[in-house]
Amino acid sequence: MLRADINELLTQTGPKTPMGELFRQYWMPACLAEELPEDGCPPIRLKLLSERLVAFRDSYGNYGLIDEFCAHRGASLWFGRNEEGGLRCPYHGWKYDTTGQCLDVPSEADNSSFAANVKLTSYPLVKIGDVLWTYMGDPATQPPLPEFEFALVPPEHTYTSKRWQQSNWLQAFEGGIDSSHVTFLHSGGLKTDPLFKGAKGNEYNLNDTKPFFEVADSDGGLFVGARRNAEDGKYYWRITPWVMPNFTMVPPRGDHPIHGHFWVPIDDENCWAYSFDNHPVRPLTREERQAMIDGHGVHSENIPGTYRPVANMDNDYLMDREAQKRGEYYSGIKGIAIQDSSLQESMGPIVDRTKERLVPADSGIIKARAKLRKAALALRDQGITPPGVDPAHHHVRSAAVVLPQREAFLDAARDDVKVKPGMPVASV
Amino acid sequence: MIYVGDAGQERIVDAAAGETVMSAAVKNGVPGIIGECGGNASCATCHVWVRDEFLHLVGTPGETEEDLLDMGVDDRRDGSRLGCQIALSDELDGLTVDVPPAQL
Repeated sequence: MLRADINELLTQTGPKTPMGELFRQYWMPACLAEELPEDGCPPIRLKLLSERLVAFRDSYGNYGLIDEFCAHRGASLWFGRNEEGGLRCPYHGWKYDTTGQCLDVPSEADNSSFAANVKLTSYPLVKIGDVLWTYMGDPATQPPLPEFEFALVPPEHTYTSKRWQQSNWLQAFEGGIDSSHVTFLHSGGLKTDPLFKGAKGNEYNLNDTKPFFEVADSDGGLFVGARRNAEDGKYYWRITPWVMPNFTMVPPRGDHPIHGHFWVPIDDENCWAYSFDNHPVRPLTREERQAMIDGHGVHSENIPGTYRPVANMDNDYLMDREAQKRGEYYSGIKGIAIQDSSLQESMGPIVDRTKERLVPADSGIIKARAKLRKAALALRDQGITPPGVDPAHHHVRSAAVVLPQREAFLDAARDDVKVKPGMPVASV
Repeated sequence: MIYVGDAGQERIVDAAAGETVMSAAVKNGVPGIIGECGGNASCATCHVWVRDEFLHLVGTPGETEEDLLDMGVDDRRDGSRLGCQIALSDELDGLTVDVPPAQL
């Protein structure tokens, strides 16, 4: 169980909360680059860490993330006109640039300095890879830009999607470091999903339903090792890195692209699951990219024009009891991402962790919660910069390796969990 | 060893060296000590308060145990330990622990 006060601490990420302040130490995905496809395109509304914001790309190509509401009388700037060099509120014509600076208040006299004194809250918005990243903390402590491999490889090597999840970020994230559910919930996908199937490691996964977990600290968070039996007295290790606070990677399978997630709080009852695939050595094939677009692997099929999955809470995730019975999908739900979201959303928007019953297979989750709590309190009480802020901490990879029994997983695989640009991942 | 309940009632249990405070309690049906995870320092359902006079004999919590005591028990005190992490020995003969009332 988790004490009620700690459950609140870890799940509340609004302004001035300890976890909210922790999240505001990091660069994280604000939206996909495809959402602002060209200079002067329509603005988008988005909520992050319980703050309502508008993202836009001005006529010169500058990206901005500013308070959603006009400083005048609080109308939403989503209705705004994206004009030359700024977003103009259609109510009374106040106009703002990408830094939130008011440029024009048409009702004022021509020589008025009124507009110069009006500035909306704004955060930087930077394109790296397929993602627009923001930093919502104190400008004085803004860290260098993030260096996650999936965003730095050539564009043809990578694909990122996102989906709205109707649950708190923590229960979504906890699924990302919990390898033991894969053998059950995703067992159908291991055999049939075009982005998963065919790897030797899948056999170890399916044959050993009682993985042993070992957790090791990393500079930026943790490596969670899940050990299953392989042949000849060897062990199959699936190593999941977590970079604080909300980046996880899935251990690879064969030569398939390597994938992972960012779990970004929208507010305390909703989050974005960003799902990426990348191949460090070669471009994604046409078939792989199409499979990702179609919602295979870690991706989801979304309602066109939105980031809400087609299979969602309102239609019971298109539950198929016949497929469940046949074993085609273990839970009766199609697709790896929706298999996860259906169960995580079923817990309620913020699961009551005082009622949970943890087992040794949850050791990664226990350790991650402890690290999050310690980092949030150390930041609040002593101003200590948390792990994962330093871009050097981002240079991690997941790995799936067969190791001799007597070797400690991280000693044997230390090189395998580091990013080596252009070099293949360690995967069976 | 001796388990003390919330009204001060004592439950005396014979335990062999090598058993743990948790396993001896579960075997003898001592209320309030569950040991859900089977002794792996994962569930924090075997929390006890070790009496002061025994504290120097039982050592200090390990790292994972420390995390669980921090996050997974209602009333952590100086003597708080997970019963599954205290192996019994001749030296600990007569070990006395309180079972926190919240667990009863």
